[in-house]
Amino acid sequence: MTTADIEAKVIQFIASKVENTDVSVITTASQFKDLGFDSMDTVQLLFDAEEEFGVTFDGDEVKNIQTVGDIIDYINSHPTTSSR
Amino acid sequence: MRVVVTGMGVIAPIGTGIEQFWSAAVNGICGIRKISSFDASSQRSQIAGEIIGFDPASVMSAKQIEQSDRFTQLALCAANFALKDSGNLDDYLPQRAAVSLGSGMGGFSTFESSATRKFQKKSLPPFTVPRIMANSAAAWIATRYGFKGVNLTTSTACSSGGNAIGVGLELIRSGKADVVIAGGAEACVLPLTMSGFEVLFALSTGFNNAPEYASRPFAKGRDGFVIGEGAGILVLEKEEHAKQRGAHIHAYLSGYGCTCDATHIVAPEIDGQVAAMQAAIQDAHIQPESVDYINAHATSTPLGDIVETKAIKQCFGTHAQKISISAIKSMIGHSIGASAAIGSIATIMTLKTGTIHPTINLVEPDPECDLDYTPNRAIKKSIQVGLCNAFGFGGNNSTLVFTTN
Repeated sequence: MTTADIEAKVIQFIASKVENTDVSVITTASQFKDLGFDSMDTVQLLFDAEEEFGVTFDGDEVKNIQTVGDIIDYINSHPTTSSR
Repeated sequence: MRVVVTGMGVIAPIGTGIEQFWSAAVNGICGIRKISSFDASSQRSQIAGEIIGFDPASVMSAKQIEQSDRFTQLALCAANFALKDSGNLDDYLPQRAAVSLGSGMGGFSTFESSATRKFQKKSLPPFTVPRIMANSAAAWIATRYGFKGVNLTTSTACSSGGNAIGVGLELIRSGKADVVIAGGAEACVLPLTMSGFEVLFALSTGFNNAPEYASRPFAKGRDGFVIGEGAGILVLEKEEHAKQRGAHIHAYLSGYGCTCDATHIVAPEIDGQVAAMQAAIQDAHIQPESVDYINAHATSTPLGDIVETKAIKQCFGTHAQKISISAIKSMIGHSIGASAAIGSIATIMTLKTGTIHPTINLVEPDPECDLDYTPNRAIKKSIQVGLCNAFGFGGNNSTLVFTTN
């Protein structure tokens, strides 16, 4: 999967989790809090992302993942157990 | 001061909503099938009273579903029905609206799946703890409806729902609440939970290929209970308040008794059960001879049904033979902490309709079970006073008294 593919899939995934938001506003720079996720929502989002993309977010690094782009970067730089 | 039931809601293996549930119950429809929610081929007991086709999206958003266990979702479904039935409660201050719920296991569906993930070294769902905790169903009901008063969860194994309704009665009598949403919920058709009951030889294992015949309270050849799931919710309030707001009164909740055998952690005992029934009858200020119906605990275990039969005889003497008894678990299995709440709804419907639902699969009774259990077919009989028994592990015994006035 190319970086562009991953970016498209992550944005599509985030869009599926956002309520009442125009999908086109989601960019790699979007902060979770600006998309309406509170801190617990963000934890849930990252858990769901682990399932979706076959990665495991390290407990300490998880605090640094605050934007859509952070998820994409993490997936690009870590091994996945999924072919997705 | 009298306490009345003005709302009822149920979700059970034989029906969702009172109408569907009661229609199936009086027609002796069995809701026990081969387990479909997980691969049960390695279980000794491979059958259950499951609620097939329940869609949590019917009561919650996708986000709320992620944050809640199945037992909470079932509780919310039953609460929605009960509160729709009871009508507008806006007259009550939120701080005077209480929730009293029972669950034997709490969010065990989440416990089992999260424990499995943990041992596989996978991440845990973030809402693991708030899904598991026993009070999550009561909290979700309160949050959904803005009930800011007393919020309690009773966990006394198989009698949880009965005690939760009893606690609801006491909350109104003591003046701590004006309206109580009371009942029980359970969702424990699960591999670990079932294996735990299996090693105690508590579950039926001889009817895996004939599930509909497995739950056979008081019958010869019964070999244990069938696990079930569901939820039952009542709305309780003072009689005068209910009349003031023009609510319909389904029945009076007139008495509650709770005792502990204090003898054995799992084996039932006659004296403790007798004491619970006597305490409830005394609490209701009625004579034992006025009791004309008992919705029995009757789980279909070899020992339990005999002990309850003996307890009823000891409590009522010769009057025991005149009491109509029936066992809802013959059709829905044993939904642990929900069972007495669902049994209470069956008792109230008996009072309301004058129809006693049958105990199915009772073709040949156990010679030691020699009372009138309403075998196989519903009967018409005017009932004024009905008891709902529930006896749980820990020797916990609960009896509720429902009356027509």
